[in-house]
Amino acid sequence: MGERWRGAVPSILSVLLALVACWAAIALTRDMTVASEAYLQMLYGGLGQWPRFLETGDAGVLARPLGEAAGKAALLILTGLSVAVAFKAGLFNIGAQGQMVVGALAGAVVGAQLALPSVVHIPLALLAAALAGAAWALIAAILKLWRGVHEVISTIMLNWVAVSLVDNWLSVGPLRAVATGGHSVSGTAEIEATAHLPRLLGDISRLNLGFPIALAVALLVWMWLTRTRRGFETRAAGLGPDAARSAGIPVKQRAAEAMALSGALAGVAGAVLVLGTEFRYPGMLGAPYGFDGIAIALIGNNNPLGVTATALFFGVLRAGGTRMQLLGVHKSFPELIQGLALLFVAGRLVWLALLKRRKAQAASTEVPRA
Amino acid sequence: MLEILEAILFSTLDAAPALIFAALGGVLSERAGVVNVGVEGQMRAGAFVAAVAALSMPTPLAVVVGMVAGAGLASVHGYLSIRWRSDQVVSGMAINLVALAGGTFLLEALYSPNGTPPIEQLPRWQLPLIDAVPLLRALSDHPGLAYLALVLPFAFHAVLHHTPIGLRLRAVGEKPHAVATLGLSVPALRWGAVLGGGLLAGLGGAVLSTAVLDRFEQHTPAGMGFMALAAMVFGRWTPLGAFGAACFFAFGNALRIGLASSAPGILEVIPQGFLLALPYVLTLLLLTIQGQRSSAPAALGTPYEQEAR
Repeated sequence: MGERWRGAVPSILSVLLALVACWAAIALTRDMTVASEAYLQMLYGGLGQWPRFLETGDAGVLARPLGEAAGKAALLILTGLSVAVAFKAGLFNIGAQGQMVVGALAGAVVGAQLALPSVVHIPLALLAAALAGAAWALIAAILKLWRGVHEVISTIMLNWVAVSLVDNWLSVGPLRAVATGGHSVSGTAEIEATAHLPRLLGDISRLNLGFPIALAVALLVWMWLTRTRRGFETRAAGLGPDAARSAGIPVKQRAAEAMALSGALAGVAGAVLVLGTEFRYPGMLGAPYGFDGIAIALIGNNNPLGVTATALFFGVLRAGGTRMQLLGVHKSFPELIQGLALLFVAGRLVWLALLKRRKAQAASTEVPRA
Repeated sequence: MLEILEAILFSTLDAAPALIFAALGGVLSERAGVVNVGVEGQMRAGAFVAAVAALSMPTPLAVVVGMVAGAGLASVHGYLSIRWRSDQVVSGMAINLVALAGGTFLLEALYSPNGTPPIEQLPRWQLPLIDAVPLLRALSDHPGLAYLALVLPFAFHAVLHHTPIGLRLRAVGEKPHAVATLGLSVPALRWGAVLGGGLLAGLGGAVLSTAVLDRFEQHTPAGMGFMALAAMVFGRWTPLGAFGAACFFAFGNALRIGLASSAPGILEVIPQGFLLALPYVLTLLLLTIQGQRSSAPAALGTPYEQEAR
């Protein structure tokens, strides 16, 4: 087993343990058949109903769930990357939620207010979202680097500032959609059709361009971090700021860049949600994808490829969560699996100590020959 | 005018205790050097367990059970961050995520998705004499815990600044190695602070479900734990500061709700979102002004290693 893969062992063990613990949670509150059936439904809901496909040959029963999973995974990839990139520069960005909110709003405004051909409109909306997210994250970076305010505190505060201002002022006040035909609408005006992320499989699935975009972004971030000088300098600044500084790396600048990129990624996640599935800034952003990003980044070991793999896995589970409703299990159940997995990953040192102890035992049995 | 003021004062006193307890919980844990971003999750655990317990036992006892639940969740945080020196922010956020999803799961599995069945609320105390005086009347007719919330910060302050154990707690958050050279156990002190913080945060949550409401609702505490963190930071990590900040934030909230019902015209000029964002903006501003001279404990967030220098 290569050194690179060994880093993934604690994460994989943590996820497996979380799956078992959550299965036991249903088994204890209901019974074992319900628990197993619920897990099966979760897989059907995320990976497609293969038995029914083989029976009927209806591709829709595969495409629909897989499309949902891809949609969820796209958001998790982007927010996970957001947290991971900041981590690489030594910053803990808890503010992905706030950055995602301002990004989603920026995307919704550009999507609704401008009339442009699709080829220009979509990139422009994504760019606006990226800039908004980056600007929001830069506030925290500036406070940290030039005023010494810890980024964990400032990003928590900025989250709530963003949520308060957007959900309780902009989207219900100045930017609220004009009610048409008597029934009031929540959130901002609907975006133009030219800003919709195109559906890749037509009507049989909600799979849209957001998924390939997220995968491409993950690849780019990975290349930036591992194959470019800037990326190397950023990682060095995160690993040992003092050593990096004496090697001539502008540490503050690299950290600020990483934080801006982190915010931009979260902002794009917001735009993908708005342009791909919601088509307007909804009254509230709903699920806290920004906080999910923390879990995905850490389970994925802050490695862009690990983050992508983790996001794909949990994207499948999250999409499958809706089918668990059939058995009376709340659709947020996969979030419990995800949260527990993060908790087990946080105890990574426990895993490593256990593994080391086993190795030490193995070694000590070899020693007595001397 | 007097009546409006009285109503706002009354609802401030209704909303503040949960915030005060949770903020004090944050102060206790962080002054000992353990970051506590898991306050929100500990509050949720306290609120849920207290509401469930109150279905089968007297409500005051259920509040104690809720406190223990908060400490139980905090002990997970303590185990990871003290015993295994994990990143304290990570384990705190993990606790939040588990409490959020776990609460929803248990609620759906045991009761209904929206909330637990109603319970008997904590009894409210009528203060003789005062409840006849205009304005001061607002101080009467609150649960006993509300009065505890007004006294506890001062007791906490006295313990922290005028007793040996308080000195040790502060020292373990500033310079743990100095504490160790005195032959005191750094992990034991930090464990005490984390568990105490969990009890207080659990109490804050229990107040929500047994006094403010009469059940556990799906979204409880809906971000109040983070507002408690803001109060802690705004109060410069001191019990009295956190108390003042929590009262101020609760007053702002009561004012906003009061304005929405009595004078919606004002909210056309100053949108609700501004008022909601105010506590967080003020905290950010204070931190910006303080800059490097921030009052955070020096060893906050640094796992203690005997061998490290």
